[in-house]
Amino acid sequence: MGEIRALIVDDSSVMRKIVERALRQAGLDQLVVHEAGSGAEGIEVLKAMPVDLILSDINMPIMDGLEFLRQIRAQNLAQGVPVVMITTESSEEHVKQAIQSGAQGYIRKPFTAEQVKERVLPLVRGA
Amino acid sequence: MLFNGVRAAAIQGRGKITVLGGREEREQTMAVSLRESVQRVSDPRNLDASVEEVFRLMLGIECKRDAGPANVESESVTAVVGFGGMLSGACVFRSGARTALKIAAQMTGMEFETVDDTVKDGIGEICNMLAGGWKGKVPELAANCGLSVPAVITGRDYNLHVQAPEFQLHHIYRFDDQTFEVTIVCDGIQ
Repeated sequence: MGEIRALIVDDSSVMRKIVERALRQAGLDQLVVHEAGSGAEGIEVLKAMPVDLILSDINMPIMDGLEFLRQIRAQNLAQGVPVVMITTESSEEHVKQAIQSGAQGYIRKPFTAEQVKERVLPLVRGA
Repeated sequence: MLFNGVRAAAIQGRGKITVLGGREEREQTMAVSLRESVQRVSDPRNLDASVEEVFRLMLGIECKRDAGPANVESESVTAVVGFGGMLSGACVFRSGARTALKIAAQMTGMEFETVDDTVKDGIGEICNMLAGGWKGKVPELAANCGLSVPAVITGRDYNLHVQAPEFQLHHIYRFDDQTFEVTIVCDGIQ
């Protein structure tokens, strides 16, 4: 697999590093990571550079993950780029909202590197 | 207790339970109340399961509930995540500074000598996952109770006081020679 440009959106810098580590463990060794601490920052990153994969938390200050998803779809940013939500919110209602907002995958925190591999790699391969 | 910043989006759909069944999707709307389910919500096993899961999956640590007492350190780290919506209250994580440093090191693969911003961020995220895991054990709560972003307090010789909660769970956990405390405070339930 060639170079993958991933945008990781989470208000926790520690969690961004953990997600990056899990992606590398999943086999994405040629990974270029861009980080954002909120949905609003994520929008700015997407306006500035193309990415191949987006992983986003839901509960964040300033702009939460669901609004971030709606905004990138409304502004035609990252068209065709798979989005995976990684969040502590695990109810079916939250999963449904995420899918309706345009997410292709959903991973509940806490997660294992294996879960990241199972849910992210097929989306990257299919991108 | 009042916690600002509880995610409005997370508590949207209050009173509504959606059931996804195979390809068919059926939606049931009902008046959801936890008032008659306080025993289920306050089941101490839910908190133990949440703590064990978070530490096993995110830190690779087997951690167990302990009879206590918790280790006493003058400097401590406390993280608070508020609940809002059908249940109001908070999940509170508290440990000594040495334990916090060890948890952050295990999370990040880095070594820390002081409780810096990364350590605080890591402990806040642990508390966030504990709160999310705990409410996720009760389906009505998972869908109808939002979480605030974590607040982290550090310092020496302070106490957290909550006035007459509806119920409270206070557990001590141990891994290696470290202990920490997790408290669920519920001060209102619908």
